[in-house]
Amino acid sequence: MQRFYETIFIARQDITANQVETLAKHYTGVIKEFGGEITKTEFCGLRNLAYKIKKNRKGHYVLMNIAVKPEGIKEVERQMKINEDVLRYLSVRVDTLDNAPSALMQNRGFREDFAREEARPASKEKASTEETVEELAV
Amino acid sequence: MSDYIEDDNLKPSVRKQFFRRRKSCPFSGQNAMKIDYKDTRTLSKFVSERGKMMPSRITAVSIKKQRILAVAVRRARFLALMPYVNG
Repeated sequence: MQRFYETIFIARQDITANQVETLAKHYTGVIKEFGGEITKTEFCGLRNLAYKIKKNRKGHYVLMNIAVKPEGIKEVERQMKINEDVLRYLSVRVDTLDNAPSALMQNRGFREDFAREEARPASKEKASTEETVEELAV
Repeated sequence: MSDYIEDDNLKPSVRKQFFRRRKSCPFSGQNAMKIDYKDTRTLSKFVSERGKMMPSRITAVSIKKQRILAVAVRRARFLALMPYVNG
């Protein structure tokens, strides 16, 4: 039975974008062997990692929407585990495959995000005091 | 403990003034936000400056959604989209 998966893998920062593409193509081939299909492949480019992984500060993020039986995803994960260019991989089973561009594409690099959130704590503190006051009132 | 009670008794009129309706869960109801481990912009709203989860009593996230949110944050951390510890 075919199932839907969302797989993200992070490739080492030193390899080129072309190599990342061939890597993704290779995994696509593996999925095809198992009679599955890939509905979307997203190259999110070189992004900053939130923390260092194996001395890498950046990584190529690739997201793939996969419809395949469990054996197929197992084989892909096995190959990712062996490949040293892949720092991390994560497969999540989903109910439906969303082929619209993911949130990964929209905000690049987590640092900008966190900088934008600088203004946040003040408002949040206000919210928390409101909350406690309200509890008292009840 | 006794300090709290004293404080409570001191200014009843002020308390009433500050009364706010309880916020509803930001992930429930129509046109609510979706919890997605890839969407760090949304997730970071429910995480402290240090990168720890905010308690749902402050963010008003429902218990069910808080659990789902926690899983999403864990996934985002694993993929280095969010820090385990900030700073």
